[in-house]
Amino acid sequence: MRRYRPIVVGGISLAIAAVIFIVPFLFIALQAVKSRSEASRLNFLLPKEWLLWDNLVAVVEARNYQLLLAYFNSTVITVFSVTILVVLSAMVGYVMQRRRSRWNGVVQVAVLIGLMMPPAVVPTIGLLQSIGLFKTMSGMVLIQVAYNLSFSTLLYRSFIGTIPRDLDEAALIDGAKPWQIFFRVVMPLLKPVTVTNIVVQSIAIFNDFTNPLYYLPGKENVTVQLTLYNFQSMYSSQYNLLFMNILLVTIPPLIVFIFFNRQIVAGMTAGGVKG
Amino acid sequence: MSGVQLKDIRKSFGALEIIKGIDLDVRPGEFVVFVGPSGCGKSTLLRMIAGLEDVTSGVLTIGGKDVTYAEPSQRGIAMVFQSYALYPHMTVAENIGFGLSLAGRPKAEIAAKVKEAAGSLQLTHLLDRKPKALSGGQRQRVAIGRAIVRNPQVFLFDEPLSNLDASLRAQMRLEITDLHKKLGATMIYVTHDQVEAMTMADKIVVLNGGKIEQVGRPMDLYNKPATPFVAGFIGSPKMNLYTGAVAEGLGCKTYGIRPEDLTLSSERGRWSGKIRHVERLGADALVYFKVEGLGDMVARTLGSATFLPGDTVWATPIPGAERHFDS
Repeated sequence: MRRYRPIVVGGISLAIAAVIFIVPFLFIALQAVKSRSEASRLNFLLPKEWLLWDNLVAVVEARNYQLLLAYFNSTVITVFSVTILVVLSAMVGYVMQRRRSRWNGVVQVAVLIGLMMPPAVVPTIGLLQSIGLFKTMSGMVLIQVAYNLSFSTLLYRSFIGTIPRDLDEAALIDGAKPWQIFFRVVMPLLKPVTVTNIVVQSIAIFNDFTNPLYYLPGKENVTVQLTLYNFQSMYSSQYNLLFMNILLVTIPPLIVFIFFNRQIVAGMTAGGVKG
Repeated sequence: MSGVQLKDIRKSFGALEIIKGIDLDVRPGEFVVFVGPSGCGKSTLLRMIAGLEDVTSGVLTIGGKDVTYAEPSQRGIAMVFQSYALYPHMTVAENIGFGLSLAGRPKAEIAAKVKEAAGSLQLTHLLDRKPKALSGGQRQRVAIGRAIVRNPQVFLFDEPLSNLDASLRAQMRLEITDLHKKLGATMIYVTHDQVEAMTMADKIVVLNGGKIEQVGRPMDLYNKPATPFVAGFIGSPKMNLYTGAVAEGLGCKTYGIRPEDLTLSSERGRWSGKIRHVERLGADALVYFKVEGLGDMVARTLGSATFLPGDTVWATPIPGAERHFDS
């Protein structure tokens, strides 16, 4: 009996994990290939007719190819915000870790406040309007940078702590200017944590629903998560197309995650333990 | 080749003074070793010469030029760190050529200089490797190569051999000495290992508590130590030193006798004691014993000596080898 225990326990754990993680995904996939009336019953029965291609075309063509525009917008926002985030937070983390001054404590508190305080939507909209950035992509990029900067900075700061200061000094003696020390010596060594940061932030920003909803209204500004509204309204919902849309929106981050899964964990833990 | 002059160099961290006024003249081409116990300020002093630590007061000149407040890269120095401080993401060739590429030199010139430095350090076959694929000794040679290509006026070494094992350390000692002969450059070398100091230096600077205790040639320091501290620090095992009433009875404040300046006998002599321990090193043996009214004493004798722990031994100083210090 004792011999079988690990197998039984493992099997049960896997079954529970499958129910939690895979069943919802199967459910989405199943509804996405049904007809409208079948999907509205929201059950696990197999469809009479597999309408994968028809639904896919219907979703992409909806509202004059809005989904493609949304992909474009989301990609632009993600690429720009993540680039700015990586460069800015690595720089801030570097200075915070290396330079000892009386401002360190103040900056530390500011970063923690950025992490803990929930963003206030209405005042932020007011601010964006007054500087003319409301309903603009650049405004949205800045919002994403501001909201994610604290986490990213903390990640970098702890990682930079594991890079010996001797390297900075060796580069200084070799004649490197401060920006050369950062970009040619320190930044390349941050690769593991940078990959982690890029993946985590890209997925979060690409999948963001609420912030674009508040700060980026307007048909031409639509982002991928907001296209879900196309098929859901107060009186009628087209569940087959809604789920097909979810499927299409989920796939890009999923691919990124599958490929970089190992590196994400490596980068997250690298800062904590000295290798 | 340039000399280095330090004039009343001081360094404080807040109210705490670490370096308490150092005056030193390093002549062009000289190999100078800073030696002293941990926390004596020798590394800080080296880092001040390198420009990695600010000078609180005093004047530092290299090659006759005042560089007290100059940038490290403007001082004409190169430094080899204890941790080697190789850039992990660059190959050996890139590590060695990094300084030149920062200076914007043409690629062909960098390649030629890197090749030359690598050739003189037997690193040519390793140029495409990353530092993590190198052994400790090879890493140290890369660090030295990085210093050589800068063609500096002064080489600074901060305990470069302390991460190596004993046999490699002996080999690297020879290599650095050879390098000094070949380049003829001024070198300043920090170590806490008095063997390195004795074997490599033209001139040893013994530091203690942020001050210079004595400056001199290795054998001068060994034969004529100015203070009990230098006497105790140079030589292994350290000199037997006695203070208090015993020393006053001998007409001084501190009395010292080196272990190798004692003759041992099992029958007669000046002091007698019971042997606690005998360390046999092969050619030599070290005999530890306790002399009543004086204290612990160690003597160096022939490896073939037959003294055993528990025996009574008699020790007599060689005439003229005794040291009487008035401090």
